[in-house]
Amino acid sequence: MKFRLLRRIFAWILGILLVHALAFFMMRTTRGGPFDDARALDPLVLQALEQRYGLDQPFLAQYGHALSGLLRGDFGPSLRYRDTQVSTLLADALPISLLLGGGALLIALLVGIPAGLYTARRAHALDGKMVYGGGTLLLALPNFVIAGLLLAVFSFQLKWLPPAGLGGLQNFLLPWLCLGLPLSAQILLLVRSKARQALASDAFRHATAEGLPPRIISRRYVLRPSLGPVLAFLGPASAAILTGSLVIEKVFALPGLGTFFVQAALSRDYTLALGVTVVYTALLGLCTLCADVLMARVDPRLEALS
Amino acid sequence: MRTSQSQKVAWTFLIVLSLTALLAPWLPLADFRAMDPDARLTPPQWTSAPFLGTDAQGRDLLARVLWGARISLAVGFFGTLVAMLIGIPYGALAGFLGGRWDRLQMRFADALESIPMVVFVLFLLSILQEYRADLAVVGFGRLQLFFVAVGVLFWLPTARVARAEALRLRKQPFVQAAEASGMKSLGILWRHILPNMMPALRVMLLLTVPRVILMEAFLSFLGLGVEPPAVSWGGLASDGLAAMNPLVDSAWLMLVPSLALGLTLLALQKVANRAAD
Repeated sequence: MKFRLLRRIFAWILGILLVHALAFFMMRTTRGGPFDDARALDPLVLQALEQRYGLDQPFLAQYGHALSGLLRGDFGPSLRYRDTQVSTLLADALPISLLLGGGALLIALLVGIPAGLYTARRAHALDGKMVYGGGTLLLALPNFVIAGLLLAVFSFQLKWLPPAGLGGLQNFLLPWLCLGLPLSAQILLLVRSKARQALASDAFRHATAEGLPPRIISRRYVLRPSLGPVLAFLGPASAAILTGSLVIEKVFALPGLGTFFVQAALSRDYTLALGVTVVYTALLGLCTLCADVLMARVDPRLEALS
Repeated sequence: MRTSQSQKVAWTFLIVLSLTALLAPWLPLADFRAMDPDARLTPPQWTSAPFLGTDAQGRDLLARVLWGARISLAVGFFGTLVAMLIGIPYGALAGFLGGRWDRLQMRFADALESIPMVVFVLFLLSILQEYRADLAVVGFGRLQLFFVAVGVLFWLPTARVARAEALRLRKQPFVQAAEASGMKSLGILWRHILPNMMPALRVMLLLTVPRVILMEAFLSFLGLGVEPPAVSWGGLASDGLAAMNPLVDSAWLMLVPSLALGLTLLALQKVANRAAD
């Protein structure tokens, strides 16, 4: 276990370095600089700018510089936000994105698991079918449409929640729902199919026949076997949250990593885009790592297999 | 196996939709590009033209949604095909060769999975924007770029399914018989393994199409979708979202394309569920 964990951590670090290198070379080998605006710059000004940001140095020297910066957690100055360090921008944006993603994941689990169990128990009843149908509907819509619908109802019609910006936690409520609900629908489907199997299993029937209290039966024989796929889904779920946050942060004007990434990628702010990509890779790797460790804890057979 | 009522409805819906989309240029529709400054933001009239209303430039929404169906469906189908063309050979080879090759290929796949691919693809797309003029010369527009992106993003699950199927089939007696009778490996792969993978791959295809269509919507929202004047459902819905504000009621601009998108994806889900049974 210890050895395997160390190997995974090593692979995680290697992955970050690889992504960093790839993104770096992709950006630098392609045409189009961060300073070409609609208005052409004076060649002398351009030269001075490139000199200032070290863009005139040889390729490998630039990479070496970027690499040593990465190890120190310093991504250099942003090319677009004048006089601002990328690390400062990241440090400001990261808590917002973490709060958004963490809350969304929590909502996904807290809504998805109970809803899955409920729809499994009431698979043939009208209410069970309705919840199930609602879940599949959520999966059939892009999340910006879900955002639009929630905005129209809760911000424009009822005026309960602010439509955008960064104030307090009430600003996060709608984004959490937009990110979390589609995921909870996916969790619902996973839990539902496992729980239906469990409800039809001999173990469940036996426990019922023995007269165990329903609470214990559902916890031991329905809930527990249904959680395996949910744990396995945590890795893909964090990837989905990451992707979704690009859109949701834009819709709700939250100054998180996603907003910065989209802006940076479109305006070719090399250093900022690189910084966000590395942070994203590190985050996602960490999430999959945690999910795998959790899974091995819960189901030791997985450990033996790999 | 019985075909349930809802499955029939789903199939009918998909077929009618595809036919309408195919025939859109010959249907008596308003021009989906024609702007009309006098008819801006007309709400849906339902019984008379404009049936589904007009957008902020006075363009007919019914025509735009039907023309959008052409792009969205084509993108979903061909994008999925690209993903399959990468995933099937990769997975089939891993499963068929087995052993060290299999481990190596799957290790690579695992590594890719822990990288935020979407971020990477966005990066790639935004960089390729710089080369638009050159790419256009060789017939590479946004649409083709999108197919590449989808191929990169969605081939992994297909590869996994193809691998599992190849592993399963390799152990089957008829494959071993072919092997024993001296058939070449490539021949076995082509004649025996691939055809027998088809049922599983068909399910995979049906499952991937909705995800690809959603991906297109995602990219449209970020401004990397199809280029105007072409329209897609994702693009229309995100335009609708952009037009939304608390003072002017223009909700139909988002609701109509979203409804079309949602219904199509639901129908595809239904059909895929059926195929998976």
